[in-house]
Amino acid sequence: MEHKALYLVKVGEILLKLGNRREFENRLKVEIRKRLADIPNKVDYQPGRFFVAVAEERATEAENILSRTPGINGWARTIRAEKNFDDIAKAALAVAATSIAAGASSFKVESRRSDKSFPLDSFEISRELGHLILEANPGLRVDLHKPDFIVNVEIRDRAFVYGNPAKGLRGLPVGTQGRGLLLLSGGIDSPVAGYLMAKRGLNLEAMYFHAWPYTSKEAHDKVKDLARVLAAYTGGITLWTVPFTDIQMALKKGAREDLTTLMMRAAMMEIAHAFATKRGDTCIVTGESLGQVASQTAQNLRFTQFPTDLPVLRPLIGTDKEETITMARAIGSFDISVRPFEDCCVIFSPEHPLLKAELGREKAAYEALGLGPLIEKAIEGIERLEIPFAERITPPSALR
Amino acid sequence: MIYLDWASTSLPDRHVLADGADIASDFPGNPSSLHALGRAAKAKLEEARSGILAALGPQKAGAKLVFTGSGSEADAIPLLSLARKASKDGSKPHILVSAIEHAAIYEQLPVLKRFGIETSLIRPAADGCLQAESFGSALRPETEAVFVMALNNETGAIQPIAEIARAVSERAAKIGRRKPRIHVDAIQALGKTSFEPASLGIDSVAFSAHKIRGPRGIGALWMARDLEPLILGGGQEGGIRPGTESLQAAWAFRSCLDKAMASLPARIEAGRALEHRLFEGLLDMGAIPLPLGRRPGDDRYSPFILSVAFPGLSGEVFVRILSEGCPEAPEGIAVSTGSACSHNARNKGRRVLEAMGLPDELAFSSIRVSTGELTGPDDIDAFLAAALSLYKAYRA
Repeated sequence: MEHKALYLVKVGEILLKLGNRREFENRLKVEIRKRLADIPNKVDYQPGRFFVAVAEERATEAENILSRTPGINGWARTIRAEKNFDDIAKAALAVAATSIAAGASSFKVESRRSDKSFPLDSFEISRELGHLILEANPGLRVDLHKPDFIVNVEIRDRAFVYGNPAKGLRGLPVGTQGRGLLLLSGGIDSPVAGYLMAKRGLNLEAMYFHAWPYTSKEAHDKVKDLARVLAAYTGGITLWTVPFTDIQMALKKGAREDLTTLMMRAAMMEIAHAFATKRGDTCIVTGESLGQVASQTAQNLRFTQFPTDLPVLRPLIGTDKEETITMARAIGSFDISVRPFEDCCVIFSPEHPLLKAELGREKAAYEALGLGPLIEKAIEGIERLEIPFAERITPPSALR
Repeated sequence: MIYLDWASTSLPDRHVLADGADIASDFPGNPSSLHALGRAAKAKLEEARSGILAALGPQKAGAKLVFTGSGSEADAIPLLSLARKASKDGSKPHILVSAIEHAAIYEQLPVLKRFGIETSLIRPAADGCLQAESFGSALRPETEAVFVMALNNETGAIQPIAEIARAVSERAAKIGRRKPRIHVDAIQALGKTSFEPASLGIDSVAFSAHKIRGPRGIGALWMARDLEPLILGGGQEGGIRPGTESLQAAWAFRSCLDKAMASLPARIEAGRALEHRLFEGLLDMGAIPLPLGRRPGDDRYSPFILSVAFPGLSGEVFVRILSEGCPEAPEGIAVSTGSACSHNARNKGRRVLEAMGLPDELAFSSIRVSTGELTGPDDIDAFLAAALSLYKAYRA
């Protein structure tokens, strides 16, 4: 590779115990290899970090991938120089120039040298480079405690020079926490919930409840596009679509009007539980947030989760809508979520939903509905869609 | 697909489109250019213009026809000229607008409000027909203009334009003010019912070509009285609508209008027969034609447009499943609805039906079936068979 873009990637949660660290780094290796598969690359692994080299034309793609891989703390574009002072100085000046252009006004130089044959020691390297950088940039000053940027120099088999790392997602590599089943809808919350759990190392598969013709194909396509966004973070995702129309109709006919939404969510949880246990998923993930809608009061959550004893992880339970929207914009799901295609026809939403379900009473009502055969049928009809990892998140669709 | 959505757009006449395309290639000059190529194109443009004016019935001196980019634009020009006037002289004008206007008029009203223009909405009777007296009695000393459609796009109700114009004129004289400008949206009326602007006592009319088998992207504004447009530019179309004129589309407009006028009586007759057939089948299956009380052959309504409620089934869902197809109509059927399934859109689409006082439940479960020149009895039969079977399967 002639014109290479080189990156230093820093990994690892600070508080990881040594044994876990190895599993963590192995898992991350697998993820990186998979996600960089389409880009010719060379990866050099070291404890706590690795170097990634790709062709210059693929630099942006590589950076996108590094920004979206959980387990990476940060990454920095690195210049590889020859082991002579002039070349190292040139690199250091370039790194400084970039940071100054971004508005920095103070700096320091940190050098490390594992090749003890290099004529200058770490202190001397830092001092000399520091002088040169100050000379070339009159307005700049040295700050050894809280500099705006640090010029890092490492002398090993070659010399590596880099500036401040860009922030990575941090978190744990996908898969270190097993796999969970995300209940994915077209709304703003569930994609964000999925993203947050992926950051904690949970591999995900997604389940969507479709009630055609009461929900449109466009609503289904919207969910597929949201799954594609998640796939960029999870490294690929399977989307399971459940044919939910018959159950929806049975609830409309048989359930008391103020209970329809709650019964619907309980039925979804029952299906999710059966499917997750069959698939070996360790938990269920939802985008529920306390008090955000009628069905998400504490009493109602207690009822709607009764069909499962798997942990129901709700990363947004204490988050307000504005914070969720901020995250949705950051991960690229917001514009898709606000497309005007509903996943629940308004005819299934009660005017005055019950706010405080009583577990015993509502459970009895749910059982009395006798949804068993319909639930089995729905599970049998589940359709599978594999969404592979792609560096590009599907661009938001055109304005309606 | 079996096409029963002619009110939304008509299936274009291939020859009309081809004629327009040929003209565009044969007369490529810019009609505003001074050279021979431009002058030749201009001559053709004027030919199209006078052809359309001729088709619209006898004209008084001073009548103008301006080509626009759409029917909506032809509605917008008189609306926005009010804004220009209001901002110029600081007056706080008042306008009368029917409550059943198309979004091209209705959605502009909040913008006009910011220019200080106040609107009174005039509701129709329960039969969807506007009453002339309600315009007269709503008139105030500061009423500058009236906006009213000639034929409603959802119900097919034909509005009494001449009576409304007369009532407005008489009332204005009585309270001692100049007669307000009357603008008529005749986008659905053209080609469905006889409509001669010069005989109605009105000042401007909006037309559109794509409802009468012409191309999209061309409309026309008929004017008996001048106005000051808000949007200025290259001065084309007498300064009323800037932008290089589409000779291609104007020519096609003239061509399809000639054909529409020639076939109008025969089409209306055929339309009435289809209307009868449709009604029979709908009543049999328990559907409710709207407005309540409409009967086939009722000349208050155009036979080409019918809204019908299917209680227990949402309009949006019904449109979806009809489009998807079923054994009775595997190729699918195209109809439309204003009713929407989503919470946000819930109220927007059904404004017209609700303005008539129709209960929410009926408006929510309504679809619109509209026929055109190419619709035959087989299409109606296939629709009825499909509707019957799907209604039975999906109604709550």
